Amino acid sequence: MSAPREPLRRIVVAGGGQLGILAAIALRRACPACEVVVVGGDPGPASFADASPTAMPFTNKLHDRLGIAEEQIVARAGGSYRLVARYAGWDAAGQGGVVAYGEALDPALKTAFARDWGKVRLPGAGAPPAGSLAEVLAAAGRFAPPPPGEPTPISSVDYALRWHPAAYRDLLIAAAEALGVGYVAGTIDRIEAGEGDAIRAVGIAGQGEIAADFFLDCTGPQAALLAAHPRFAFTDWSASLPTRHVYIGEPTAPLIALEDRLTLTRSGWVSEVAGLDGRRPMLGTPAPLARAEAEALLGARALGAVALTPGRAEAPWLGNVVALGDAAARFEPLGPLHLDLAHRQLALLIEMLPGRDINPLERDEYNRRSVMMMEGVHEVLALHFASIRAQAVFGARPLPGRLAAVIDQFARRGRIPFREELPLLSQEQFALLVALGWTPGLPPAALAADAAEEARARAAFAAEAEAALAFAPPYDQWLARVRANPG
Amino acid sequence: MSDPQSPVRVVVLGGGTAGWMTAAGIAKLLPGIASVQLVESEEIGIVGVGEATLPHIRGFVEKLGIDEAAFMKATHATYKLGIDFRDFGRIGESYIHPFGSFGEEVAGVGFHHWWLELSRHGMAREIGDYSLAVAAAKANRFRPPSQDDSLASTYGYAYQFDATLFGPFMRDFARGIGVERHEGRVVGVERDALSGDVVALALADGRRIMGDLFVDCSGFRSILLGQELGEAWEDWTHWLPCDRAAAMPCTHATEDLRPYTTATAMPAGWRWQIPLQHRMGNGYVFSSAHISEEQACEAIIASAEGTPLATPRILKFRPGRRSRSWSHNVIGVGLASGFLEPLESTSIYLAQMAITYLIELFPTGGAVDPRDRDEFNRLVDMEYDRVRDFLILHYHATTRDDSEFWNHVRTMQVPDSLAGKLELWRRAARIEKYSDGLFYDASWIAVYVGQGMLPEAHDPRAGMIAADALARATERLRMAVTGEVAAMPGHRDYLMREAARLAEAA
Repeated sequence: MSAPREPLRRIVVAGGGQLGILAAIALRRACPACEVVVVGGDPGPASFADASPTAMPFTNKLHDRLGIAEEQIVARAGGSYRLVARYAGWDAAGQGGVVAYGEALDPALKTAFARDWGKVRLPGAGAPPAGSLAEVLAAAGRFAPPPPGEPTPISSVDYALRWHPAAYRDLLIAAAEALGVGYVAGTIDRIEAGEGDAIRAVGIAGQGEIAADFFLDCTGPQAALLAAHPRFAFTDWSASLPTRHVYIGEPTAPLIALEDRLTLTRSGWVSEVAGLDGRRPMLGTPAPLARAEAEALLGARALGAVALTPGRAEAPWLGNVVALGDAAARFEPLGPLHLDLAHRQLALLIEMLPGRDINPLERDEYNRRSVMMMEGVHEVLALHFASIRAQAVFGARPLPGRLAAVIDQFARRGRIPFREELPLLSQEQFALLVALGWTPGLPPAALAADAAEEARARAAFAAEAEAALAFAPPYDQWLARVRANPG
Repeated sequence: MSDPQSPVRVVVLGGGTAGWMTAAGIAKLLPGIASVQLVESEEIGIVGVGEATLPHIRGFVEKLGIDEAAFMKATHATYKLGIDFRDFGRIGESYIHPFGSFGEEVAGVGFHHWWLELSRHGMAREIGDYSLAVAAAKANRFRPPSQDDSLASTYGYAYQFDATLFGPFMRDFARGIGVERHEGRVVGVERDALSGDVVALALADGRRIMGDLFVDCSGFRSILLGQELGEAWEDWTHWLPCDRAAAMPCTHATEDLRPYTTATAMPAGWRWQIPLQHRMGNGYVFSSAHISEEQACEAIIASAEGTPLATPRILKFRPGRRSRSWSHNVIGVGLASGFLEPLESTSIYLAQMAITYLIELFPTGGAVDPRDRDEFNRLVDMEYDRVRDFLILHYHATTRDDSEFWNHVRTMQVPDSLAGKLELWRRAARIEKYSDGLFYDASWIAVYVGQGMLPEAHDPRAGMIAADALARATERLRMAVTGEVAAMPGHRDYLMREAARLAEAA
């Protein structure tokens, strides 16, 4: 007869940044009888997952599950909405491209768009037509989150949230406190070994020790717990991911926009995240830049620079320690992948929540899927550097995993091979490949497709776009209104 | 290859189910890109694999633009909600593997963990009582699932049809959209001296059928892929010892029409009962190392519920697959590429899967790109290997020790890929997850639980809720399932409601 496993009695979350606190909330909600203690403060700006002002649509779903209300983020943490990421400078033709979220297009429309995007365009012919409702809305500056549960002309539009990291963290702290999550300030200065390869307790400098059954390492790139494990090993991504220096710009004037930008320059990439507290620029380069040059590219004063050696933990769960965020995978903040990855890994951990006795097989299964998630991010990032213009800036790089096959299938057939645990859906990958300058081939069935069917799909999309524009309010006005009257 | 603008000349060898499905699929979905010819010989019979299907067949039929009712009428089809497995884990026990889920996840914890907890307190009913597909199947009721996200949407359906009628139906359809049929026996295969590619098939009457791409649907003979190109065969007999079937139709013995297939374990294999509109299909899938063909025929006659409509027919097969299903310019589809016994009704699915990938990776210019061939082989191998492991589970998860056959499969060493899955289930009640291929969590749980392979421990969270509160919640779910089923029409009534679905009485 199967018996429930003896539950965890105490979990220590090392690292009190926005990731560690959300992880503590998730664990506490999953296991209300278990004591959850956060140890230590925010790992700081070099911990990209903790410093990130934004995530991807998955995080909205996780927030819902954990009772973190989107309205609260908007009202109290400078929350704002992103519908698309705009890429510029990556493609040789200089058209740029736009990546929206979700997978809402019907197959005939996808084919029609592939045909448009695959065309040879003459200079001055203008950008290809919008490929999603999100792009149409973003260009018009119209949006408000659609009310859940009722069909509207914009219900198929998925979005990501941005926020002010410090205010968001305060919001999470309040939620954690309300749930009875414990907190110990201070620095972990020693790790007490337990049975086998488990940790028994961590020592806090100048204070005592805290014993626990299970430890989460959310300490950022230092990976204070996991890296101290005797079986810790690092899988280096340096060969395929060339960013070595990340410059963090000071937020400039507030920017209300439904899009964020990723631009390739002659010296490196620049990411700009819009926000009510300012536009947040970051710059990634293969070689160090003079301060003035970096600031010119950032369009802002540089607050600091972070040196980067990208890679991941070979196994993010060792013994009774699981690393999340920068403690598990270290990579350039080129797009909002850090929190998305960390939150998907957190959701996987909650799904597979162990008991006090940890079975090596469940650890293996967690690591298998968790590594697939990290390698998925690795491949998506490497794709950026595989583009022709990026190679001119960063040099040619070997392609990790199945990336070469993906690019080949896309270029010859417009096909996105399915891979497990990827951060992007196939339609998102399609748009990203286009934005980075690849031209989609046409799938065999599309060569034979019915032109009338595609014309119908185009007309239907045009009608949907019109309805969406008529339905959605001007975004800036809507945002001002909800911020003035929260709740 | 000639003019790049002219269609790629596809030659399909073999006019069985796989052959005509391939011809129909390519002709319908790649018009102008490919021309399709099919070579078949009336001298050679067809195996007519599988009378039962998986829900995926609906997508295939729909994509070809075929009307469901017309298709059901032509193939004497009934609806299928799952498979009833009897006597597999232990003689006298049975369970239904549904095209649907059990219960629902609560607070992020899978339903089976809550069910295991309830079982510990002696308060659980059979896990199938919490599945709408299972409950409807047991009640012989059917209605298509709803399109919302309510309880009524938590299942899918497939068909049980006459495979000897499905092939001809696809043939008529394919010929109607321009597939050219050649009657004749292949006596020679012409190859290009340099590339080794097949260029033409020589027929007994002297005709040569030239092509750019050859699809081998010649069944087990695998005339092109196996005989001509010598692609190695990976044999899986040591894991799946059944290598014969004795098939025999009989009349319906009951008024009710089961919306499910029955698979009953036998001393040297298992037997199917597949209810069609006018008859019941029966067959004993057995290991010839353990019983003789005569014994199998006697057993299938003895077990038929209705009046036999023919004498038993013996089919021979081998479980396994070619190490590559696409080699040179030859693609194997169906038995020419691989075979897994019909225990989970996967034969037609595996052919359909290969056809779908072939169309996605079709060499539109005529020349095969090795990268597409590799991608095809990667996908096909993955699908076969995953289905294989799932089938092995049905034999291995047993306590039966009443025959040599069951002693063998109970104690055999399973593939490593399966051993890890079993151990993860035993220790932690978790399922190895994947999103590609066939058979997800609910399927594995159905077999594990149904065959009595219960884990040692389940999710700690399931133990934190008072048992009576848990019992009340699951009872509400069960009542909802019961209510849904009560509102469904009977399977036969639903079929009869629309005359377009019904074949003329034979």
